[in-house]
Amino acid sequence: MVDVEGYEVREGLYYSKDWMWVKIEDGRARIGVTDYAQKQMREIVFAELPSVGASVRRGEPFGTLESVKAVSDLVSPLSGRVAEVNDRVSERPELINEDPYGEGWLIVVEPTDLEEDIKALMTFEQAVEWYREIAKKS
Amino acid sequence: MARRIIIIGAHAAGCDAAAAARLTDREAEIILLTNERYAGYSRCGLPFVIGGHIKSFQDLIVFPQSYFKMNRLDLRLESNVTNIDTSAKTVEVQYKDGRVEKLQYDSLIIATGARPAMPPIKGREKQGVYVLRTIDDGERIDQAVREAESAVVIGAGLIGLELGVAFVERGLKTTVVELLPQILPAMLDKDVADFVQRELEKNGLRIVTGKSVEEILGSDRVTGVAVAGEQIQADIVVVATGVRGNVELAQKAGVELGETKLIKVNMRMETNIKDVYACGDCAESINLITKRPVICQLGTTAVRQARVAGINAAGGYAVFPGVLGAAVTKLFDLEVGAVGLTEAFAKRVGIETVSMTLSGKTRASYYPGAMPLRIKLIAEKETEKIVGAQIVGGEGVAQRINALSFAILKEMSVKELAKAETCYAPPLSETWDPIILTAQALLRRIK
Repeated sequence: MVDVEGYEVREGLYYSKDWMWVKIEDGRARIGVTDYAQKQMREIVFAELPSVGASVRRGEPFGTLESVKAVSDLVSPLSGRVAEVNDRVSERPELINEDPYGEGWLIVVEPTDLEEDIKALMTFEQAVEWYREIAKKS
Repeated sequence: MARRIIIIGAHAAGCDAAAAARLTDREAEIILLTNERYAGYSRCGLPFVIGGHIKSFQDLIVFPQSYFKMNRLDLRLESNVTNIDTSAKTVEVQYKDGRVEKLQYDSLIIATGARPAMPPIKGREKQGVYVLRTIDDGERIDQAVREAESAVVIGAGLIGLELGVAFVERGLKTTVVELLPQILPAMLDKDVADFVQRELEKNGLRIVTGKSVEEILGSDRVTGVAVAGEQIQADIVVVATGVRGNVELAQKAGVELGETKLIKVNMRMETNIKDVYACGDCAESINLITKRPVICQLGTTAVRQARVAGINAAGGYAVFPGVLGAAVTKLFDLEVGAVGLTEAFAKRVGIETVSMTLSGKTRASYYPGAMPLRIKLIAEKETEKIVGAQIVGGEGVAQRINALSFAILKEMSVKELAKAETCYAPPLSETWDPIILTAQALLRRIK
């Protein structure tokens, strides 16, 4: 874990420029929003997530997060089929604020082209650099 | 096809309108146009940066760049809207690089704000004369303070006094000059204002009321001001005599102004032209007590109006109920708040009132650190409903003003307030809260 200007970035994850993280687990991908994203949104009050079995496509929204003042699309970092949905965050969206990389995960996807999709993501080191730039600008 | 919402202005009103529009319509294309270099910052925080309570002007940015990105809001800085064509439903915008573009809209939100009023005082063009509205203004004043020893602020409204206090806190010999016979004339009655004035003077701020600045002195650079035969030395002069709504662009496009000379809107914040909305400092409000249009250029009014405008512009339904003008500030260690009508304003509009002023403590009187609290409660004579309150004290003013704001909104009578329940613990309050005691005292006076 690294603190980048007050925002946590974790090792062992891939990152998209749409504020998502991806954790590869036995060929499946667990997906959530980054610490930076949840801090920018502040208290998240509603999470709209897809159902198990739904298809997601890289670069396209699969759901939304709503906070008091903001609505953010959840943009899928890879393509595939939704294998698991974190129902707990639908009931308690504050989990995303409390533990964005842990209990606040959103969905698990069975990717159709993991190898290709991963090339478009940032590694941990690249993400640290990218978030540093972003944090400085804001 | 996705709806396109164009918002002119990107501060309190513009940004909150955009947020509400996005919450209402996830697909809409939302474009914010502002002629400023920075968007989404708190103007109300500017005097407190100058006073040294907030580290930097950048800290005032409440909507950072990433917010616009994450909510898919197309923010265009330094973009000047030069014309609105309400029949073609287009706005003409000139970008920083000089490029001119016509943008089609489905809904338009005018949140053009206001600009500082500049009375025709002789010498106002001199170097060292400032106004405070933008971060750029704030930075200029902050820079000037570093090399100054004395300052004069013209106008004793909220901004004028907050700035006067900031100058004293920065070590400047400071005088505030007010044309009217009292400070905070839009917020307080003279009795309460005089009390506040004495407290401010004890802290080293000089205040001159009932006199006008005849001339700003100096050759190129300001050296002082002339006030009723006296020359007051000043390296900095700030004009803080209120703001004027930026309504010219709207007016030119056929948008109707109300009797307050601000943009006239209905309950949904829609102007006389369909699909054109207005909110913030450029739009008028309805006073909930007098039921008449009123100028209420506060941050809270701006965001509450903006939310309604944003929802309606995005195809939803929301109404704005009106305003009571709840306002609060902190001057040195003194909290000053007010809501509803002052007695002076009520008299001007023909409403007869009864009032009571009482002093109390903010904590149990035996608890260390208990501070004085002074409460003025105003009721309408015939119905005995509460119509106004003014509170001055060391702590707990804001939340008491809020409580009384709700009481006025629900048309509570003095009798009902006298019987209302409050919470109590020695470190935080008295068994009888001063607002209840004041209501009881007012009730006796009525009987």
